[in-house]
Parts: sequence; C-alpha cells; structure tokens
Amino acid sequence: MIPALLSVILQIFIILALSPLLSGIIKKIKAFFQIRQGPSIFQPYYDIAKLLKKDSVISQNVSWIFHAAPIISFAAVMTAGLLIPIYITQLPLGFAGDLIAVVYLFALARFFTALASLDAGSSFGGMGGSREMFVAAMVEPALMLSIFAVALNVGSTNLSYISQTLSGMGLDALSPYQILAFVALFIIAIAETGRIPVDNPSTHLELTMIHEAMILEYSGKQLAIVELGAMVKQLLVYSLLANIFFPWGIASAESGIAALAIALVVYIIKIVIIGLTMAVVETSNAKWRLFRLPDLLSISLMFSFLALVSFIIVKGG
Amino acid sequence: MAEIVFGSNTMQLLIALILVSTFMILGSTRLYSCVRAFGIQSFLLACVAGVVAYSTGKDEIYIIAILTLLFKSIVIPYFLLYLIREIKVKREIDLYVKISPSLIIGGVLVVISYYLIRSINVISELSSFALSASMSLVSIGLFIMISRKKAIMQMLGILIMENGLFLGAISLTNGMPLLVELGIFFDVLIAVLIMGILIFRINKTFESVDTSMLKNLIG
Repeated sequence: MIPALLSVILQIFIILALSPLLSGIIKKIKAFFQIRQGPSIFQPYYDIAKLLKKDSVISQNVSWIFHAAPIISFAAVMTAGLLIPIYITQLPLGFAGDLIAVVYLFALARFFTALASLDAGSSFGGMGGSREMFVAAMVEPALMLSIFAVALNVGSTNLSYISQTLSGMGLDALSPYQILAFVALFIIAIAETGRIPVDNPSTHLELTMIHEAMILEYSGKQLAIVELGAMVKQLLVYSLLANIFFPWGIASAESGIAALAIALVVYIIKIVIIGLTMAVVETSNAKWRLFRLPDLLSISLMFSFLALVSFIIVKGG
Repeated sequence: MAEIVFGSNTMQLLIALILVSTFMILGSTRLYSCVRAFGIQSFLLACVAGVVAYSTGKDEIYIIAILTLLFKSIVIPYFLLYLIREIKVKREIDLYVKISPSLIIGGVLVVISYYLIRSINVISELSSFALSASMSLVSIGLFIMISRKKAIMQMLGILIMENGLFLGAISLTNGMPLLVELGIFFDVLIAVLIMGILIFRINKTFESVDTSMLKNLIG
C-alpha cells in the first residue's frame, strides 16, 4: 500500500525516466535491423539535456499560443499518464477520469501542437498541422471504438478496473474480441506514435514528415519539452497496449514492495517487447502515401467494429 | 459435443484470427500479400480441424487437418505465387470497389451473416460464432470475386468461399466422413489446376489477366 502523494510522484518519475530510454531502445533495435551501429540507448537523455541548456529562437510573429502550446501539450500528456496503469493498477488520478478522458487528453495535446504549428505562419508548419489533423480525424473514431470493445468486454471504462479484472482472469482473458481490438489498437498505436507506415520519425524530408513538420519552429528548451512530450506519449500508448491486453504481472494496490519491484520489471519487459515489434514493423514496411492512410486506418476501424460484433455474437446479445 | 468444442476459448480465438486474415485479404492491394494471407487463413483452418480432432478423438479428422495444412496452406499458395511469377502480372490488384469501402462492406457482410445465422433457431448459441464466421467468409469471398478485376483474385475469392464452407461443415457436423472430405479436396485441387490453366489462356489471348477486358471482342 503506497500513500497517494507518493504514488503520484513515483508514477511521474517512472514515466519521465523510462520514456527517453524506450525511444533509445527502439532506435537501437532499428539500427540493428539496418546493420548499423546506431546511437547509444541513452542518446535521447543527452539530447534533451543539451536542448534544455540552449536558448530558444522564436519568430517575431508568434502569439502566446506558440509559447503555451508545448507546456499545455506536455501537461495534458502527463495528466493522461496519471490515468493509465503503468506497473500498478492503483491510479493516482483514477477518481477523476477513465479511458475516455485519456483519449481526450491526447486530443488536447494534439490540438495545441497543431495550433502552434499554424501560429508561426511557416508553410511547413501549416502542412504538418493539416496532415496531423487529417490522420487524427481517422485515428480517433477507431481508437474510441476499439477501447469500447474492451470496455464492453470487461464491463467498465475504468482502466485500473480493466487491467485488474483481465489480469485476474489469466489466459481466459484472451477472447476473440480482445484479439480483434488488439489488432485495431496496434494499428492506432503506430499512427499515434508517428511511426512508419504513417509517419517517419527519423526524417526531415518535407514531403513526408507530419510530426516533425509541426515542431519545425521550435528550438532550445521548448523543443526539449515537445520532444519529451512525444516520447512520453509513445510510452503511454505502449503502456495502454500492454496493460489492457497483456495485464499479467501488474501489481495491485495491496501489493508489497517486492511485488511492486517485480511488476516494474515485468512492465519494462512488456514495453521493450512492444517496442521491438514496432521496430520490426517499421523496418519491414515502407512509408505509405498520405492518401493511402485512410485504407490503413479503416482496417483498424473495421477490426474494432468486428470486435464489437463478435462480442455480441459470442455473448448472444 | 459440437457445443463444447466450438464454445471453447481456443476455438473462438482461431475463428477470430480467421476473420482477421480474411480482412487482411480484403484490405491489401498487393497480390503477394493476398496470397500470403490466404495461406495464413488455411493454416488457421487446419488448426481448427486439429482442435476438433483432438477434442472429439476421431483419427480421420487429423488426416483432414494434415491435408488442409499440406494442400491449402502450402501447395495452393505456392501454385498461385508460381502463376503470378510465370505470367508476369503487375503486382497491384485492380479494384472496382476501393479498399476502404470494401472493408466497410466486409464488415456489413459479417453483421448480415450474423443476423442470418441467428434467425436459424436450431443452432446452439455456442457454435453460432463459427457458423456466422463461415457465412461471412462465403459472402466476403463472393464479394472479392465481384469487386476485383484480376482473374487471380477471382480464383482466390472462390478458395475463400471454399474455406468458409469447410469451416461451416466442420462446425456443424464435427467432421464429415473421410470419403466426402477427400472428394472435396480432390475437387478443390482440380479446380485450382483448371483455373490456373484458364488464367494462362486468358493471359495468352488478352495479354492481361484483367477480367474487365473479357468483354472486348477479339476478331
């Protein structure tokens, strides 16, 4: 049993500490598949530390939105982090919101990033913002639908209740609707974290970039916050995948210190495995044309729909 | 007996994965990935037969499972890939209905087949998932046949329909007599062979396997 304040601090600390590491690990795995040495897995920490020491260069034409957007986005993503079970099902902010709040917090972060990209008035920023909104318009319904499929299965939209129930069910938790919803949510996770085939995180080629185009105007400390926010979001999306679909090994509120430590290790292993899968998907696929993306995301939408339908078929509703 | 087998968790998982592979065929634009997805679907079907054999203890269903594995998930896909390589067809499949609408139509077909199956009252609740999946496979196979232009995709569509019928048969009867199954297998193999020859002929006459060109008169 951990006191509430400590659990908040612990969760924030773990999210912040792990998310650059996850990015570094994915980069390293990708480098391995491309037969390169690749940067050290701690490189994202160095990058952020260096960016934090630098001054920002800011366009004269920007309004307060440009300054506020990184902080609002980061705060929204961190708040979502307190609503998602990481290694323990006891949520620091569990009383305040559920899955739907998480979806809207991500949407808030995205909205302000897109707004800031328009603010500086550069054409690249506008392009990135419009592309991001184009993808978001298709990601969000699919995300909602797949999450509802899971929530319908468990009978609650409360994330801590979902992972607790499913981890208590053991292997019985692997039901057809769960599998279909997982496929759907996996595709959404690719789109949400801006990976190939939706977006290429390691390019600055103007024709293809989405996320990079939006944050092109940022530099120095603000860029550090934006980058860290993106990494945290990636970690959170993977945690969502891990703890909704493979919640085994997660600690509950009554666990002792030893059980918590084991749960943390299991969590890190799960996250690294999902990162590995993402890296494999990323290296074995080419980036899709922007106007082919509706196909990919409608596959995801269809799978969430099938998850709902098969739930009704199996349960005979 | 059928209720216990088809109500089990493993079976439902396998059937859900079969649906996933069907939608993979519906959602991809490359011939190779369509054929690969068909191979996966047949492999899962063989797993279904294997689970039925294991839980009913009938030896002949094992033979059927092995035959499915051998022919439908290895021989036929390889034959299709050989065909694609041999006639040097363009790798994209041409569509009458675009990918996103076809996916939506596929989803609607699943819902319709569920309602059709539900209106048959004889079926127990538990095997209705398998039956409606088989029904959706048949209707999606038919839809693939009418919405794709390439002759190879029409062949694939009829094979998907056959897979759906196989799933339906095995979920209703818990394995038909071995003789019947062998007959069906032989039929499918011969059908694939004949369709392959037909595709070769179409390719030779029209220099394309696009079925929309079959309407043209050739003097």
